[in-house]
Amino acid sequence: MRLPRFEYFKPKTLKEAVKLLTADPKGTVLLSGGTDLLVNMKHGLIQPKRMINLKAIPKSAYIRDEKDGLRIGALTTLHEIASSPMVQEKFPALIQASKEVAAYALQMMGTIGGNLCQGNRCRFYNQSAFWRSVRPPCHKAGGKICYVAPKSKECHSAYCGDIAPVLIALNAQMKVLGAEGERVFPLKKLYTQNGNRPLSLKKGEILKEILIPPSSGKTLYLKWRLRNSLEFPIISLALHLERDGKQQIKKSRIIFGAVGPGPVEAALAEKMLKTGPLDERMIEKVSSQAVKEISPMRTSLHSPSYKRRMAGILLKQGLEEIMNCGIRNAECGIL
Amino acid sequence: MKHIIKLSVNGEEYEVFTEIHKTLLEVLREDLGLTGTKRGCDLGSCGACTVLIDEKPCLSCLTLAIDAQGKKIITIEGLATDGTLHPLQKAFAQKGAIQCGFCTPGMILTAKAFLDENPNPSEEEAKMAISGNLCRCTGYVKIVEAILSVTIK
Repeated sequence: MRLPRFEYFKPKTLKEAVKLLTADPKGTVLLSGGTDLLVNMKHGLIQPKRMINLKAIPKSAYIRDEKDGLRIGALTTLHEIASSPMVQEKFPALIQASKEVAAYALQMMGTIGGNLCQGNRCRFYNQSAFWRSVRPPCHKAGGKICYVAPKSKECHSAYCGDIAPVLIALNAQMKVLGAEGERVFPLKKLYTQNGNRPLSLKKGEILKEILIPPSSGKTLYLKWRLRNSLEFPIISLALHLERDGKQQIKKSRIIFGAVGPGPVEAALAEKMLKTGPLDERMIEKVSSQAVKEISPMRTSLHSPSYKRRMAGILLKQGLEEIMNCGIRNAECGIL
Repeated sequence: MKHIIKLSVNGEEYEVFTEIHKTLLEVLREDLGLTGTKRGCDLGSCGACTVLIDEKPCLSCLTLAIDAQGKKIITIEGLATDGTLHPLQKAFAQKGAIQCGFCTPGMILTAKAFLDENPNPSEEEAKMAISGNLCRCTGYVKIVEAILSVTIK
């Protein structure tokens, strides 16, 4: 499969890149790792006029420990994150999620910024041009139909990234640079929950940095997939809990991946967790509540009811792990 | 539009007059005649096209040739030194870790990068490292044996 032709730019500063992007935001793509973009271009899903390679911009890949938290440059590769002792010490769940992305060579190539901004996926969309040519294009490919939900007027493609759920659970902030300067906002707000236009970046904006504030408590990432490597998740879960020293939960985040057009937060289940001690009864109650808060579609080969069921099982597994770890590590300060 | 792209492959400098949208895989195979790097899925899922760029494993089907300028590229043709096979190449041959051979270049280069980083891996770690390289013949047992046979014990 050949790549389509495009005009190529390799700016030396992020400002220059923003300027280039602002000139024609619709016809321009940004290249970082290329592991998502080039595949979509080979499939003919994106046919950009221009490509901006961000990799020549100096000082865009770094991991720095500062007072207000850990700062990660958008061009830092997943392998650099996965092998960073600093990240291992502060946010082991992020290491775990980075290692769960695709496989070894793809982790070497893929960047955290690219991973967060990756395209949504659907079994009717992420196919070759030949495969798709037998029927009219879907919403995401510029058409007027959704093959996942034929009566629907919108695109139901799913966000399948591994890093975003964990970073949202850790309350990460994004720094983006646009024509009007820098802007910082919570990562959760990057996702519009609209399958057709999943990212909320404004015209010409480029992701610059991710800030993860210091955090106590325990974070977990659980990914359910067909085999233990390469695959996108059937469903994934990032879980973050902070306790008040005893059994009472004072802060909780439950974020599911691959079940909606963006990472999905089970807000009611989070609230429920704070209403009593973390025991088996509570885990059962919270798991059944969380399942009601997601509405997965048939965007992969697996049925929505299967995904919902697995969501409950993953959450139960995660909460049990934290509960048991709490008993084992009653005095170790993890919780 | 065509451009001159300068590549350093296996210690030799090349100047290629080629299109900007060509991948490194296409340039290696079509312009430089280095067909040891295989075109498998061409979509980053099979690992057959793996080469080393600055000693890191990279999928050449998802790397623009122009983006590999100024970097040190090693393909399977450049792994042997002065006619002597790399220990991994020897181990693959001796352990019978090759059948049709299509996945072998990518498998060996991935394994090399992995062992350079982690010279004493567990079996599980070795399996994980090559999990992005698909082999449809061997069932992986002999490949894993070959990789583990060259680790520092």
